[in-house]
Amino acid sequence: MRGRPLLELRDVHHRWRNASSTVLDDVSLSLASGEVVWIGGRNGVGKTTLLRVAGGILVPQRGAVTIEGCTPRARRGAYQRRIGYLSAGDRGLYARMKVSQQLDYWARLAYVPRRERRGLVEAAIADFGLGDYAQHRVDRLSQGWRQRVRLAMAFLHRPDVLLLDEPRNSLDDDGYAVLNAQVRSAAARGATVLWCSPRGEDRVIEFDRSFTLEAGRLVETT
Amino acid sequence: MTAWWDAAWGVIRRDAILFFSYRTQAISQTFSLLFSLALFYYIARLLHATTLGTSHDYFAFVVIGLVIMQSLITTVGVIPGAVRQELVAGTLERFLVSRFGALSGIVAMLLFPTLSAFATGLIMLVLATTIFGLHLAATAPLAIPVALLGSVAFAPVTLLLVATVVVVKQAAVGTQFVMAGISIIGGLYFPVSLLPDWLRWAAYAQPFTPAADAMRHLLVGSKPQYSMLMDLLRLVGFALVLFPLSLWTLRRAIAFAQRRGTIIEY
Repeated sequence: MRGRPLLELRDVHHRWRNASSTVLDDVSLSLASGEVVWIGGRNGVGKTTLLRVAGGILVPQRGAVTIEGCTPRARRGAYQRRIGYLSAGDRGLYARMKVSQQLDYWARLAYVPRRERRGLVEAAIADFGLGDYAQHRVDRLSQGWRQRVRLAMAFLHRPDVLLLDEPRNSLDDDGYAVLNAQVRSAAARGATVLWCSPRGEDRVIEFDRSFTLEAGRLVETT
Repeated sequence: MTAWWDAAWGVIRRDAILFFSYRTQAISQTFSLLFSLALFYYIARLLHATTLGTSHDYFAFVVIGLVIMQSLITTVGVIPGAVRQELVAGTLERFLVSRFGALSGIVAMLLFPTLSAFATGLIMLVLATTIFGLHLAATAPLAIPVALLGSVAFAPVTLLLVATVVVVKQAAVGTQFVMAGISIIGGLYFPVSLLPDWLRWAAYAQPFTPAADAMRHLLVGSKPQYSMLMDLLRLVGFALVLFPLSLWTLRRAIAFAQRRGTIIEY
């Protein structure tokens, strides 16, 4: 069941320099509290760009991105506090830091209050099944376990909006089940989840709505 | 503000973990300091400079120059490259999507190298005193607050180079140019009075000359070129003008790269 609108993209337009076509052509999308949405599309169609715009990393040439009135420009801190972002690939980790150090570091950047930090780090370790690896350095983990660490960072501060770019990357069946459970749990507490991937993951996870991005435009598929 | 300092402490802790995870790094750096001191100790013994007095006087002069140069190597020489590495590793994205933000994150990245520069300077002075017979003045402890002020006055150079990295992704050549330039016009290895008239203005248009002058006066008792008060006022002036200006430039550089879409490129 859909709740109040959380993340809203209005007429977002972006064209890369020297590109022959527009990557995001007046894209509009409203994601409600408790909603899990999938966006698919072929490689290079602009899914990652869309997530980066929603995450406040890139500023679109036109259009607006808001979370209940906050934008990445005005009230940036309040906006980012509500975002949980997983980038595509395996980047964004410090190879020589331990898993627990990595999560504590992220909790600090996310301004998790001191009194809550330790509890949330421990919860993230438990939620993503990282207990056996908490004191392991990241460069000594397999790709699948690194992906769990990256996911744990995205979920750690209990964000209202989760932006997940190819979250299944390198996960085994167990890892995927953990991810699925955490997505459902986040939605149950009122967060909205935007999941982007090229494959048809809607066959194995139930999304509230699905879209494909084609020629810069979102086409609803369910 | 507590949350900001918690996050900044997280960045300092991160940098310390990464630095000490390479166990031989601190040892090899200490040996490098020792070799630099030995090199200039023997060069000083060759000299009978009328500008500075005895070879011992030149050694005392150049040790302070080396201390400042080492602090530049660990800050100006390292941080722009570290930010570039963050771009390559995708970890700068973490700052961008965090409440802390990219500007605060990059400013916090100055802190561990600055602490490291203090430690390096201290080790260098200890080595120069115990092995090479440098005599420290009784006013040496007063050099600590001056060094702190110097750090704030030097930081804009680093921040401006980082702004260049954010926009054009490379600053290695610029960094080398700046470091070499400072070593000449900053009076680190020889007095700026030896510079030709047409270049001497450059010695007064940056904060390194007054910092070296004040540090020399406090650490080894050399006579300041003008006065200690004048050196301090110049350092404060540079800090007050350049620090906000460099922050503004870095903020603009980040916003520019976000609009242009190049913030995620490397």
